[in-house]
Amino acid sequence: MSVTVILFIAPAIVLVALLAWAVRPPKKTLLSVDDVFDTLAEKRHYARLPQILQSLRHEDTDFLYTRGHDQLAGRIRRERKEIALRYLNYLEDEYHLLLEASRILARIAPEISPMDEFAHLRLNMRFVLLCRYLRCRLRLGLEPWSVFGILSDMEGDMTLQLEAATTRIGERAAIAAEFPLFLENRRRDSK
Amino acid sequence: MSAALILRNLSWALSTVLELVLLYFLVRRKVYRSHPAFFSYVLIALLQSAVVATAYRVFGQASAASYNIAWGSQVVVICARWLAITEISKKALGEFSGIWAMVSRMLFVLGMSVLVYALVSSRDQWTLAVLTADRAVEMCIASFIVAMFVFVKYYRVEMSQMDRMLAIGFCLYSCFFVINDSIYQAWIRTAGPLWNYLESVTYLATLLLWIGAVLRHSESRIAASAPSLTLEDYLELSGKLNSRLHVLNNRLDKLFHSGDSRS
Repeated sequence: MSVTVILFIAPAIVLVALLAWAVRPPKKTLLSVDDVFDTLAEKRHYARLPQILQSLRHEDTDFLYTRGHDQLAGRIRRERKEIALRYLNYLEDEYHLLLEASRILARIAPEISPMDEFAHLRLNMRFVLLCRYLRCRLRLGLEPWSVFGILSDMEGDMTLQLEAATTRIGERAAIAAEFPLFLENRRRDSK
Repeated sequence: MSAALILRNLSWALSTVLELVLLYFLVRRKVYRSHPAFFSYVLIALLQSAVVATAYRVFGQASAASYNIAWGSQVVVICARWLAITEISKKALGEFSGIWAMVSRMLFVLGMSVLVYALVSSRDQWTLAVLTADRAVEMCIASFIVAMFVFVKYYRVEMSQMDRMLAIGFCLYSCFFVINDSIYQAWIRTAGPLWNYLESVTYLATLLLWIGAVLRHSESRIAASAPSLTLEDYLELSGKLNSRLHVLNNRLDKLFHSGDSRS
């Protein structure tokens, strides 16, 4: 009896629970194009990038150690670590915004696939996992640069693919705009 | 006739009536045009009831002929159900070629894996082989639909309320079928009519859900909710998205190269 419960009844109950979760409406939706415009136009903390990078450098606080202010140096490094973690949150938000934008692009221009969707899904999962890993490394005081590099590459790839997709949309739009003009010219030539 | 048998016959009669009502609304609201596979499924399920009832009357309930007809027709019903579910999935995700290309393959692989799992992990007697296969297929259908809903949620795809309710009905029916079947095989093999009655109740609930969904269905509402985007919107969105991506890419490049120079 217990084998049947484990192998069949429990998975069936799990499926019902998963169904209930999956059909629930999402908390945050970006359904209209205007919403996407608004979100893309939102200001972020880009201007503070140099300070954030500087805050992660150990040389910046080394002089405090050499002068015997160990406690102060430790506190400053902790605070800067927090800043880096917050910055990572912004990166993650930004990535999710791009994903949302690519989903919207896929929806509004269904004949154009913004990227190979499987790679897209894999990239998303990898990005989320790497963000968590980087967060752990920062908390443990380990070197974060290599992971930042991987994240940068992933963002770069996505940028290129989305750029290609939007370029294709632009080209199609341009052709669509020129086509009536071309027909008009042909009509005039034939007269 | 025992009380369980009377209940079973009553539920069969009621489910036939509800199938007829559903068919009526599918025709009246012209849903058969947009959902031919679902319409065929309901029609086949109705025909199955008629065929099995006739077989029971002619050959008797315990005869081998009735058994073969009942389970043989079940194969046709399950195939029709698969087609109906595929139709709903394609309606939800099919218009996004990139998404559908990936999701359809993943759903197929998942469905086959669950089917194999359910068949391999059944340790029942060979006399229950047909029931076991049926349970495996139902589990496969339920997993397929749940996975489809997960993808719909992930991509935030708009799905019509009717398609959503039809898929939920299929999934709930399949899940409860698996539970009913497992309970029957584990505990109450002797109480066959009662098991049949429980299965019929699940099917009745599903039919009511579908009738409600078809009644609320409106073609004009679907047309109104279809996404529309002007040429200017396309270009504006593309431009804004590109500039935003450039900023992000530059920012990350800076971050990366800054790290390199340090290490």
